[in-house]
Amino acid sequence: MINTVTKNYDSITNEFCSYQVTYVNSNRVKSVPLDTANTDYQAIQEWIADGGVVIDNPPE
Amino acid sequence: MAKLIGNAPNQVPTNADLGSMAFEDRKNYATVNSSIHQPFRNLIINGDMSIAQRGTSVTGITSPGYHSLDRFNMNAYNIASAVYTMEQSTDAPIGFYNSLKLTPTTANGTQDANEQFNIEQYIEAQNIYNLDFYTATADSVTISFYIKTNNTGTYPISLKLSDNNSISSNTATRLYRTTYTVNSADTWERKTVTLQLDTSTSETRPTGNNFGMSVLFWFGAGSSRDGGTANTWEGNGNNCTLADNLNFLGNTSNEVYLTGVQIEKGTSASDFEFLPYDVNLQRCQRYYTMIASGTNKLVALGGAYSTNNAFFIYYPKVNFRATPSIDVSGGSNYFLLIGHASSSSVNDFFLEGQTTNEIVRMANVANFSGTTGSVYFIQTNNANAYVALEAEL
Repeated sequence: MINTVTKNYDSITNEFCSYQVTYVNSNRVKSVPLDTANTDYQAIQEWIADGGVVIDNPPE
Repeated sequence: MAKLIGNAPNQVPTNADLGSMAFEDRKNYATVNSSIHQPFRNLIINGDMSIAQRGTSVTGITSPGYHSLDRFNMNAYNIASAVYTMEQSTDAPIGFYNSLKLTPTTANGTQDANEQFNIEQYIEAQNIYNLDFYTATADSVTISFYIKTNNTGTYPISLKLSDNNSISSNTATRLYRTTYTVNSADTWERKTVTLQLDTSTSETRPTGNNFGMSVLFWFGAGSSRDGGTANTWEGNGNNCTLADNLNFLGNTSNEVYLTGVQIEKGTSASDFEFLPYDVNLQRCQRYYTMIASGTNKLVALGGAYSTNNAFFIYYPKVNFRATPSIDVSGGSNYFLLIGHASSSSVNDFFLEGQTTNEIVRMANVANFSGTTGSVYFIQTNNANAYVALEAEL
C-alpha cells in the first residue's frame, strides 16, 4: 500500500522526471518513471484519483 | 499432379494444376503445428519455476504482489490475519526440478467474505497475437500444470482476456471460470483444462506491451468471491466459481505445490516445453531484473556531476517491457558511492530523465558528498540492501 509519493526533478535539467514512492510498513522505495505503460505509474494515478496528495518540492 | 512434371522449361504450375494443394486452411495449419510441438508455444514464462530473482524463500508475507518466483503474482486481498510463505521448492514431479510452494504460517482466522487468494500470471498482448479471439471462430487453448496439495477436491481456475487494453482487475476485462479436481492428497498430478477463447465480437483485442491474457489459480475465496458462472465468458467479477469453503489460508497445515504451467494454442496438452535456463532468465528479466542484493555487490558506474550530485548509468540485460521502476530497499547508508579515493554513503536513488526500457539513468542528490568530475561506482553496503528494475504487467 502506497504511503507517500514525491515528485523527482532531473538533477541536470530540473524537469519533473519521476515519482519517489514509499510503502506502508516497508523500507521499500520505488522510483517510478512517467510512463503510462508502467504499472507502478498506473497505481500512482489510481492513488491520486482516490485522494492521495503528491509531495512537490520543485528545485529553485 | 501430372502437370507438375511439365513438358517445357520455366513452366509455372497454376492453382488449377495444383488443385487442393494450392490452399491450406489456416485453422488446419495451426492444428498441425500444435501437434509437432511448435517452439515457444508455451505462453507462460517460468512455468517450470526455475527463476526466483526476488528470493527462493520469502516468509512473513501479508500482501499481494511478486514475492519469490518470477512472473507469478500473488493476489492476496482481504486475507485477515493470515501470513504466508512463498518459496521455490525442489519437491517436483519427475522431469522437473522446481515447484512453487505456498504455505500459510498464520491462519486467517475467520475468512473475510472478500478474501481473494490466487496466483496469476499476466501475458503481454503482443505475445498472443497468434490467437484468434473476439471472433465467432475463436481459437481454443489448453492449460496444463502439475499440482500437489494435502487437500483433495475441486479447485477453481480462471482465464482472463483484456478488452481494448483493460488491465486484469478492470470490469471490462473478460473472465472465464472453470474447475479441475485434485484426486489424491500429497501426490503430484497433471491437470489439463481446454477452453475456447471468447467468441463475443463486441470487444476489442488488446495490443502491444499491454496486458493481454492471464491465468489464475485460486486457493482462497471468501463467500463474496465465489459462486461465479462456470464455463462461459462474461464480464470480470474478480471472483471464481464452484468453490465453497475454498480456504487454503484457514489452516497452517495446508500446502500447495505448482509447476509445469503451460498455456498453448489447441485442444490438447503437449509435453511441457522446457527452455534453457539462460533463455528462461532473460524472458523473466524483461519484467524484473535484480541488479544487486546483499553486501558489497556492484550496482552501476557513473560520476559526480557536482559535489552533491552523482548519477549512474545501467544498461539492462534485455529490453524491458516498459520503462522500468527502480525498486530499492531503502535504509540508512544502504549504499556506498566509491571514487576519488573516498566513499560516500547514501540511502537510495531516484530515476532521472532520459531513462527508457533500454537504458537507465539514476541519481542521488540527497546524501552524496564527493568530488566534481570524478568517476564513482555504486555498491551495496548492507545485507538487506538490494537494487532491482521492474516493469511487470
